[in-house]
Amino acid sequence: MVGLLAIYKIGLVLAVVLTLIYAFQGFYPEFMVSFSNAFPPFIAGAAVISSDFAFRKYGHDLRERFSLVWLCFTFGMAFWFLGETGWAIYTLVLGVEIPYPSIADVFWLSGYFPLFLALYWYVKTFGFVLSRRTLVILMTTVFVLSVLVSAVLITPILGAEEDSITMLVDFAYPLLDLVLFSVAVLGLAVFLKGNLGKSWLLINAGILSNVGADILFSYMTAQETYYSGHPLELLFHFGYLLFLLAFYAHAKEL
Amino acid sequence: MLMQKSSEGAELSQVEEQFRQVLLEAIDEGLLVLGENSRKALYFHLQNMFSLKKEDVPDRPEAFVEGLKKIFGAGAKAIETWILKSLYQKLGVKYEEKKNSQFEDYLNDAKEIIRANATRKA
Repeated sequence: MVGLLAIYKIGLVLAVVLTLIYAFQGFYPEFMVSFSNAFPPFIAGAAVISSDFAFRKYGHDLRERFSLVWLCFTFGMAFWFLGETGWAIYTLVLGVEIPYPSIADVFWLSGYFPLFLALYWYVKTFGFVLSRRTLVILMTTVFVLSVLVSAVLITPILGAEEDSITMLVDFAYPLLDLVLFSVAVLGLAVFLKGNLGKSWLLINAGILSNVGADILFSYMTAQETYYSGHPLELLFHFGYLLFLLAFYAHAKEL
Repeated sequence: MLMQKSSEGAELSQVEEQFRQVLLEAIDEGLLVLGENSRKALYFHLQNMFSLKKEDVPDRPEAFVEGLKKIFGAGAKAIETWILKSLYQKLGVKYEEKKNSQFEDYLNDAKEIIRANATRKA
């Protein structure tokens, strides 16, 4: 098994390489279109493998809490992997303009449910150690964040004259990210001072990376300024990378 | 006088032995909340990081708590609670959280309960 430090280093190198690829995309616009669509299934697939690695470590007996938690993480990541694959098939195989929302969105949105369950069951097991004061502070923070996100998105989305389902999907991603964050931040508060805190820090960073990415994506889609290879995609890639590292770190630390 | 002392000593070691046995069972049961594999992994990490075997926990409860905190942070408190609930249930006493009491304090109380039960029986 590869050491945790080595995995962190590989993750850092990958993040730097990705940033450089997006920074200099003006020199290779055609490659960028292919890369932007082909890379996500790979990084999402790697996150599924990492989660499955943890699932195998903690056992397959679904009567056990941790097995169930890691099965849900793996299902959630698998749904997101299918979403990325669906998107890649639209663009690279079928060569058609991607409808929005599409089947890829169905997979992505479905993935939130098992991910929420995984976080909820995990945090529920330990959450009773948190003081009421900590709970109030964290939940107020999440509420303020949700209001801010809605305030940022409401004008461009409503002004874009989209149909109601498109508008719903525009709002759904960042708000569902915040639902995940509202639970994950409790996990971080519980485990922060322990070795498992690293894993929870990475999970929270991954979710926040997705919050940023989804806000920008919804905003750009409403403004019709999104294109394949847009630098905002980096946040999606970082999100998967952080999840991948989080799952691996957890399996190594416990 | 000598006989009385030796019978007290035997009683004491019996209490210690019973306490060890009940505590080890309670730890096993308490940690099972996480699942069998996670429990094994936790024992492995405790031995690896703190040279603490499961059998040593009754003698070094503070090292056990330290190990749990190192891995779980504040979540260690939850694990302590599961173990103590299981321990007190085995002694036929309801576990009640007390302010400012540490894991070791609850263990001492449990030992007292076992001692009192043994004296009553005798």
